[in-house]
Amino acid sequence: MAWVTISTMPFHLSKTAVNYISSIVICILTTLVSTSLLLFVDLANIVMLFLLAVFLISVYLGRGAGILAAFLSVALFDFFCVPPHFSFAVSDVQYLLTFAVMLAVALITGQLAANLRDQAELAKQREQRTQALYEMARALSGTLKLSQVSEITAEFLRKIVGMESVLLLPSDEKELVPVTVHKVWYEPHMAWTAYEDKQQHVLSEPDGLYYLPLKGSTRMRGVLVLSASQNSPVFPSENNELLLTVASLVAIAVERLHYVDVAKQGEMQIATERLRSSILSGLSHDLRTPLTVLVGMADSLAVSKPPLSSKQQEVAQTLRDQSNHLSGMVANLLDMARLHAGEVNIHKEWQPLEEVIGASIQLLGQSLEHHVVKVTLPDDLPMLEFDAVLMERVFCNLLENAAKYSADQGAIEISACVQGGFVKVSVSDHGCGIPPDKLEAIFGMFVRGHAVEEANKISGTGIGLAVCKAIIEAHQGSIKAENLASGGASISFTLPLGEPPLFNEALLESELI
Amino acid sequence: MSTLAPIIVLIEDEAQISRFVRAALEDEGCQVYEAATAARGLIEGSTRKPDLILLDLGLPDGDGIALVKDFRTWSSFPILILSARSSEQDKIAALDAGADDYLTKPFGVGELLARVRALLRRRTQIADMEPLATIGDLQLDFSRRSVTRAGVALHLTPIEYRLLCVLYASVGRVLTHHQLLREVWGPGHSESNHYLRIFVGHLRRKIEIDPAQPKHILTETGVGYRFQI
Repeated sequence: MAWVTISTMPFHLSKTAVNYISSIVICILTTLVSTSLLLFVDLANIVMLFLLAVFLISVYLGRGAGILAAFLSVALFDFFCVPPHFSFAVSDVQYLLTFAVMLAVALITGQLAANLRDQAELAKQREQRTQALYEMARALSGTLKLSQVSEITAEFLRKIVGMESVLLLPSDEKELVPVTVHKVWYEPHMAWTAYEDKQQHVLSEPDGLYYLPLKGSTRMRGVLVLSASQNSPVFPSENNELLLTVASLVAIAVERLHYVDVAKQGEMQIATERLRSSILSGLSHDLRTPLTVLVGMADSLAVSKPPLSSKQQEVAQTLRDQSNHLSGMVANLLDMARLHAGEVNIHKEWQPLEEVIGASIQLLGQSLEHHVVKVTLPDDLPMLEFDAVLMERVFCNLLENAAKYSADQGAIEISACVQGGFVKVSVSDHGCGIPPDKLEAIFGMFVRGHAVEEANKISGTGIGLAVCKAIIEAHQGSIKAENLASGGASISFTLPLGEPPLFNEALLESELI
Repeated sequence: MSTLAPIIVLIEDEAQISRFVRAALEDEGCQVYEAATAARGLIEGSTRKPDLILLDLGLPDGDGIALVKDFRTWSSFPILILSARSSEQDKIAALDAGADDYLTKPFGVGELLARVRALLRRRTQIADMEPLATIGDLQLDFSRRSVTRAGVALHLTPIEYRLLCVLYASVGRVLTHHQLLREVWGPGHSESNHYLRIFVGHLRRKIEIDPAQPKHILTETGVGYRFQI
C-alpha cells in the first residue's frame, strides 16, 4: 500500500519516508539511552521508555511510523536490553510475556494516539473549509455581477477541493450558457438534464465531471459544473456535503442578483410610465388649448354681428365643423395613447346601459341631427358594471361611424339582449356596409373600412374602432363587425353580466302618491 | 336686473381663450372683467360684485378648486367651470366644492352662452319659485305634491318625487351623484351611486317620453345629472 502511494504521489513519498526514517532513528536513540541506563534502572522501567517513544512517534509521525516503532522497539529491547544481550534469545521465559504486553500496549497506545492525531488533522481541515466557506459566502453576498459570483466560486473550489468549475445560467433561448470564460469541457445536454430533472446532482464518472443544479427558492437558477483535476480523477465522496452547500450558496447569490435586476427594471418601468403619463397630460393640455381657441373663434365668427354674407358664413361653419372634428380626433388619439400606456384607471360602477346611451346621443347632438336613432332595450335588462366615461366614448364612436357611413335620414338602431353570461349590444345602420375582407381588420389601428378613394370623401383617422376594441377588452368583453342581410353594417360588443348588487325592489313600489 | 348689464368675472390664463369668451359675452351685453391668475381672480371676484364667475381649473398660480371653496365661504354667485382636464374627478371636486356647472374644452360659443344664460336666469328664478311649475308638457304642483301630464296624474313614489323636486330646484346646474344622494336620502345616506341611477331610471320612465333619449333629466357621464326644462 505504501509503495502504491509512493509511486503515485511523489510529494507524499518524501514525507512518509522521512516519517519512517525518523521513527527508526528515534527507536535507535531510545535503545542507546536504554543500554546506557541498564546498570542503574530496572528492565520494567526501560520498557516504559520504549513505550513513550512509540507513543510520541504515533502522535507526531503517524500511524504507520507508530506500528513500525512498536515492532522495532520490541525487537531492539529484546536484542540490547534483555539478557542475554546482543541476542534475540531470552534467558527467562517470563520476558516473552513482557514482549507480548509491550507490543500490545505499544500498538494500542500508538493507534489511539494516531487516531487522535487524525481527528485533530480532520478537525483542522474542516475548520479551514468552514472558514473558507464563510469567506466565500461573505464574498458572494457583496457581489454585483454574475461574473463575480462565477469567479469567487471557481477560486474557492480550486483552493479547497482542487477542482475547476464553470457556472452555467439559463438564457432566454432555453439553453444554459457559461457566465465567464472557462477551461472546463462539459456536455451541454448533461448540464440541461441536471437543470431540468432537478435532481440533487449528476455525476459523470468517465469524464470526472460533476453537474450540480442550483436550486433557488422559487425555481432552478442554473448549473455548476465541476471538473476533477488530474491529480484526483476520482470524485471524493467526502466533499459531497461541502459541494451541496457551495451550490446552495451560489444559487442564493444568483437569485439575489436576479431580484436586484427585477427591482431595477421595475424602477425603470415606473420612471418610464411616469414620464409617459406626464407627456400625455402635457400633450393633452397643449392640444386642447389651441383647439378651444379654434372652435371658439370659428364659432364667434359664425354668430358675429352684423351677420356675415352667406359665403363667409359657410366658411365660418366649415371652419367650426372641422375644428370640432379635429378635436374629436385628438380626443380619440389621446385616449388610445392612454389605453395603450395602461394609463386609464377603469372606474367601474353598476349602472343601466340606457343612461350611457342617452348621454352619448345627447353629446353627439348636431352630428346626429340628420339621422334617426332608435334605441330598443329589453325592460328587464340588468344593470352592468362598466366605466361610464369610456363606454360613452364607445357609443359616440359607433354612432358617429354609423352616421358617417349611412345616408341622411337613415335609421341607426341600438339594441341589446342577454346571451349566456353576457349582454350583447349592437349598433346597426343602413349604410354602405363594410367590405367583407375587412370585417376583422377594421378594429386595427389606422385601418379604415373602405377603399382609399371612397374613404377620402369621408374624413376619419381609422382609430375610433381601435379605441372601442381597447375599451371593450378592458371590460372583459369582445367586439365584432358584420354586414346585415338587409344592407348596412352592425357592430356588436359584449359585456359580462356579473352579479349586480342587491337592490330593495320594494322601495320602487312603495307609497304611491 | 334687466336694466343693468350682468357683471361677469373671467378667470382664465390663456389669453386667446379669454379673448373669444370675452367677445362672445360682450356681444350678449355682459360686462366682463378678466383675471389671469387665481390671486387676481380672488380680488376681482370680491370687488366687482359679479353676477357670475367663469373659472378655468388649470391656473398657473393655484388650484381652481381651492378658489371655488374660497368664494363659497362668503358668496353664492354662480360659478361656471372651464375645464381642460379630461378627468371627471376634477369636475366632481369642483362641483362638490360649490361650483354650479362646467364646460369641457373645447366648447362652442353657443354652448357657452346657453350655460351662462341658464345660470344668470337661475338667480331670478330662485327668488320667485312658484308652487306651480310647468316642465315641457308636465305640470308640477308642489302644494298638492302632484305631477300630471296633460291632466293625467303620474304616480311617483316619495323618493322619486323628492328627486324630481331636488332636480327642479337646481335647474340649470349640474348635481353630482354625491350631492343628489345627500339631498334626497339625507346627509347620513349609505346608498351608493347605483341606487341613485335606478331611481333616476324609474323617474325617467315616468316623466320622459323616450327614457333612452331624455329631454329633462340629462346625464353628465361620470359626474351626475342636469335638469333642463
